[in-house]
Formats: sequence, structure tokens, C-alpha cells
Amino acid sequence: MAASSSAGCPTPAGANNDIPTYEYVDINTRPFHVGAFERLWKETLKPTYYSFRDAPQETEDEEFAQEMGVSAETIDELKVICSPDTLRCYPENEPPDKNVVPMDPGLRTLRLRKRQQDYKETLLRDFTCRQHLYATELESLAMGKRPADPEDLVPEGEFILSINVVYPVIFERFKHVRPHQTLQVLGSQKLTDLRDAICCVSDLQVSGEFSRSPDMAPEFISKDHYKSATFYLEGTFYNDMRFPECRDLSQTIMEWAKSHDFPTFQTAKMEETTFRDLKIKIGYPYLYCHQGDCEHVVIITDIRMAHRDDCLDHKLFPLLTYKHRVMTRKCAVCHLYISRWITTNDSLAPMDPCMFCELCFRMLHYDAQGNKLGDFLAFPFVDAGAFN
Amino acid sequence: MDYYIEPLKLDCEDLLHRFQETESVRYEVFAAVWRKMDFPSIFYGKMAANEMRAFSRLILTTAYPYFLPPYSFHIRVGGLYLLYGLYNTQLASPKEKIRIALKDWENINKFQEDAMNAQHYDVSYIFRKLISEKAFYFAAMPKHLFFRVKRKTKRPTVCDEFWDRPMRVMDLVTTETLEEIVNVQEHYEKAKQAICGTPGQPDPAINLVSKDLVQRLHSTVVTYHNWLDEAGGKKKERGDADAGEGTSKQSEASQRAERLASIKSKSYGQAVEAVKSRRHRQVEIGSSETGGGQATPRRNKSLKARITKKMTGKVKEEILSGETTTAWRLSIAEQKSKGKTKGKRRFKW
Repeated sequence: MAASSSAGCPTPAGANNDIPTYEYVDINTRPFHVGAFERLWKETLKPTYYSFRDAPQETEDEEFAQEMGVSAETIDELKVICSPDTLRCYPENEPPDKNVVPMDPGLRTLRLRKRQQDYKETLLRDFTCRQHLYATELESLAMGKRPADPEDLVPEGEFILSINVVYPVIFERFKHVRPHQTLQVLGSQKLTDLRDAICCVSDLQVSGEFSRSPDMAPEFISKDHYKSATFYLEGTFYNDMRFPECRDLSQTIMEWAKSHDFPTFQTAKMEETTFRDLKIKIGYPYLYCHQGDCEHVVIITDIRMAHRDDCLDHKLFPLLTYKHRVMTRKCAVCHLYISRWITTNDSLAPMDPCMFCELCFRMLHYDAQGNKLGDFLAFPFVDAGAFN
Repeated sequence: MDYYIEPLKLDCEDLLHRFQETESVRYEVFAAVWRKMDFPSIFYGKMAANEMRAFSRLILTTAYPYFLPPYSFHIRVGGLYLLYGLYNTQLASPKEKIRIALKDWENINKFQEDAMNAQHYDVSYIFRKLISEKAFYFAAMPKHLFFRVKRKTKRPTVCDEFWDRPMRVMDLVTTETLEEIVNVQEHYEKAKQAICGTPGQPDPAINLVSKDLVQRLHSTVVTYHNWLDEAGGKKKERGDADAGEGTSKQSEASQRAERLASIKSKSYGQAVEAVKSRRHRQVEIGSSETGGGQATPRRNKSLKARITKKMTGKVKEEILSGETTTAWRLSIAEQKSKGKTKGKRRFKW
């Protein structure tokens, strides 16, 4: 993890601990209480600053004139002087082509971009990685969305947390990229809301052999069997205890910590904790664990006040804004659909184990009446790209 | 996107430097500088839709620190104008917002008050305008944090010339404190007289503080101030010279590096592409050739070429032009197919 605490920035004496400051510059902050932080922002800002509605321009101008003690003419003059039109660098009605870097640019950034573009033109084929192409797709879909029912509007001054949930590192190819999904939650929401919104394939796994009764398989999803989950945030385990069959996943760790002279951890209930009650560090890796051992690193990357242009439908939160797309394994027969079954000891298959999509699996292994043909073992397979 | 940070920073500093040289905080002046540099073109050039947004976000984050201490008031005004300009000219839609951290809000408020007291109407008007346009995100931190500990990022540096140096000595020794010291000294002299045996005459043995303390302190501060001014001027000149030198050196170094890289890439381009299992043999041949006293390491002819030469005395052109040591090759077809696979070059940021 991080270097020893002595290397961090010194704590300013007498400073308010709920104002987030860097512990390590550009890496993570000191722990602070989310609710107190929200209160501090709201106390310092005028409600109009974060209101979702526009104040009429005239009243704004009048207010400004009063505050500054200047006449209305001065304000009008200021308006002209400071209008965004003064920033335009070309004659009106003659906008330049914005897709072309101007010839002989003076700005260093442009020189770099030009160099890159010239290089791109020399390429025989140029394709953007699809991962990048659709990176902001989800985010832009939700941008500026308003609820149909005004009751569902996010209240003004609500805070939005951005949370990165990293996929568990189970694939060799994930060694270099850090695939994750980004979720936005509201400060007033509970941790369990986030837990339910995180989609992970291990929740969908089905264990068991179903070659005799392939129709039964979907009824045994792990999510319904093993409902326990836990978040570890800043020294506290938040356990999901909503259902009677839930188990305290943190217990083994607590016991281990006790026997190894570690500082003790606290436990709390996930369903009773809202994000506002948390004490956290921004940018610091925490843990989400479910299905016993499916462990995700969770990083809270940002907390900010809801803005007019955000998605303001309460019902859409937790909102998925980014998702890493994973390559899928295709069916061995049609090479078209994603595999749903994996068979072993299969006399009909070219290799062992072999993947099949639902359709090809049924056609190859069962007759019209649904009777099993040949000898094989079939296991339901959930592809890592199931959520693409 | 990270490769844009450095040039972006330099561009912003360039703009602010020019603004600083005008010695005016008026918005018209800034707009003139802005137009002269054609700053909005920074957003031009083919960028994918999502790249545009990321770039806008990056440039706003880069410009944001200039709006904060430790920069001087002048630069901070420039920083505010810069944010206003960038916010209004960006091509992303809806516009990317400027993120304000809670820890900076106090400073920003103070800045706004200073501007108001100094009656810089344009400064406060633009700040008000940004607020009423909802151009700000009120956030916890100025950027998203991802715990990137392994990434070696450059420490945020403060541009020296923009820095508002605190005058600690001047703060400490003001006219009020001097008066205070005078009063204290008077008291002290009286107390000395009071404890002394002969009234009106202080004991000459008690002579810890010189009588002209205040004058000396004052003159010291004044000389220090003058020296600071002079040194600052000199330093600035020298700093400029240094900077010039530094850049030329840097360019020299980078030229050298580029030359090395090009040589390297050339040599790799001609690298012997032999089958793995055959590599050891190839090296043997090469070393024996050089051992044979050849001054310039020449390309080896292929076995076939050598055989044909021996047999017929003639060497076919195409075999000679083969780009690699192909001692093991007995066919030409393979050789031809080899030529096409090379020549892939990557973009260096």
C-alpha cells in the first residue's frame, strides 16, 4: 500500500478535519466525515449557487450593482466588455474548420496534436479502440436526464459520490489494464443500494452438473444462494445482514487479526449505513467482498454537489457511468453467440472441455423430445462479458 | 491524455506570462492577449467525442491552480480569466465544469473580496457570471483520485515568476511595531533609572540594549529591502539567461536522444530475423567473419549466393539485395515475404 504515514503531507495544526486535504498529493486524501463535509459546503454557499434553476438575469445584475455600489450603466458596459464574444479569434460568421489544426500553430499542445495527426495519416488503417470509443457512452446517456415525476427529483444540494469498482483480477490479461466500472451514488443512499447495483459475473455463476435437466440450471444462481457481502471502509466492515441466511464475512478476518496482534476492526450493518455516515479517504483503495471470496477493490474517486446538468432522476441512482467491456468466448460451433454451456467427457465435441451457446448445445446434445444423446457432462457457463 | 499535461501547462504559463507583462488586470487586455495567441484553437483538431470531453476536463484542471495561492494577485486574475475563456470556448457539450475544492473556497472568497475592495469590477463580474452560469462543481478535490501510486508523476511545481513572495520581514517590522518598541524602550529606561541608586542617572553597568535600537532596526530593514530588490532584479536577469541556456541544453539533449533512437530503430530495422533455432549459427558466422580481419562488417551473402558464385561466378542481384543474413536460406521465396513484415513504427509522444 502507501508509504509509511510519516512521508505524507504534514497535518496543518488547528485545521478542520472534515475539509478534505491531500495525504499524498494527487493520490489520496486524509479521512474525513462525508456528512460533515457536505454540511461545510452548504454552509459556505448561497443556495442560489447550487440551485437547479436559473435566477433571472435582471435580479442578478441588480444584486451585483448593489453589492458593488455601481450604476446600471456601468453594469451594461461591463456586460459588453466581458461578454464571451471577446474570446472569439475569427471574424463573425466565418468560423474556422474545427477539425483541422491551424497551420503553423504557436501553442505547444497544438504542435503535439498536429504531429500525432500527421502520423495518423501515414497509417494504412486507423481504428480507435472500441474500449475508448464507447467509454463515455453510458455517462452521456444519463447526462441531464430529468425524472417524469417531479417527486423523484434529486434534492438541491445533494451530493454525488463516484465510485470505481475494479474487477477482481482473475484473468491473465488484466495484469496491465485495470478494468473497472464506475457508479455514481447519492449521499443519502445506503451501502446496500451500491451493493445491489454492482454487477459481477460471480453473482450469476451456477454450480453443478445439468446434462440431464438443462432447463433447471437458471434456478440455481449464486446470487440467490449466497447473499452475504461486505464492504471494508476505513477500519470498519459493513456487512450485509438483510436476510436471515446472511453470514458475517468479516468474522474470519477479525479472528485472524486478533490472533496476530493487529488493531481490532469494527463491524457495522451495511443496510443501516448511508454514505453520509461514512468516514473515508478519497482515492484510497477499499474492499468489497461477496460470494465468499470474490474480492473487488473499491475506490471512491470523487464527491461533489449535484449539478444542473447531472442526471437528476432519483430512481436512476446508483447510476452506472462506465463499464469496461470484456472479450467474450464464443460458441465452438457457430462462433457467433456467447457460450452458455461447457461440456466435458463429450463424445460429440472436438475438444475437452468445449463451449457451446444455448442453441447449438441443445441441437447437438438433445433430440427433439429433449432426451440426452451420448455421454457427457454439462455445466452452465457464465461468460465474463455477460454484462457488456 | 497525460502526455498533454506538460504542453498544456507551458501554454497556460505562456499566456499568463504575456498577461503579466502588460501590467494590467483589465479583462480587455487579457482578451487581446488571448486573441493574439489564438488560444481557443487549443480545442481544434480531430478528436473523438469522448476525447474532447477528457481534454476539456484536463485543460480546466491544469488551469485551475493559477487561480489559487501561492500565485500573485495578478496571475490569479489571469487564472480566473483563463478559466472563463476556456469554459466558454470549449467544444464539449454540455460544457465540462470547473471543479472547486472545499479547501480552496476560502481562498477564492478572499480573492473575490480583494477584487471587490480594489474595485476591479471586471474581475468580480466574471466570477459572478461563472457562478450564475453554474460553471462550477463544488467538489471535494480538484480532480478525481484513482490511487495511482505507481505512476511517477512530476511534482506540481510553482512557476517562479508568478509567485507572490510573502514579505515576512516587512510584515514583522511595521511602523506600529517600531512605535511599540520605542514605548517599551522608554519604559525600560525608566525602570533602569528607578532601580538605580543615583536618581536620574542609570547604572552604566546595565547596558544590554543599545539606545538607538529603533533607528538601527529601521535602517537594517530598509537596507535589507533594497538588497532584496536588487537581488531580485539580478536573479531575474540571471534566471532568464539560465532558462535560455537550459532550454538549449535540453534541446541538445533531446536531439541526441532522438538521434540515438533513430540509429537504434535503423539497426533494429535491419536486425537479423533468423529462426530462433538457427540464431546461434548465424552469430557464429558473423563473429568469424569479423575475426577474419574485415574492416567494415559486411553483410553476409546467403549460402545460395555463395554457392552460385562458386559455381557460376555470377551473383544474382536479388540475392545480394536480401536485407538479412540468410546463410541458412536455400530459397528465395521466403526471403521476399520477409521484406514486407518490417517497417512498423509507433508514435512517440
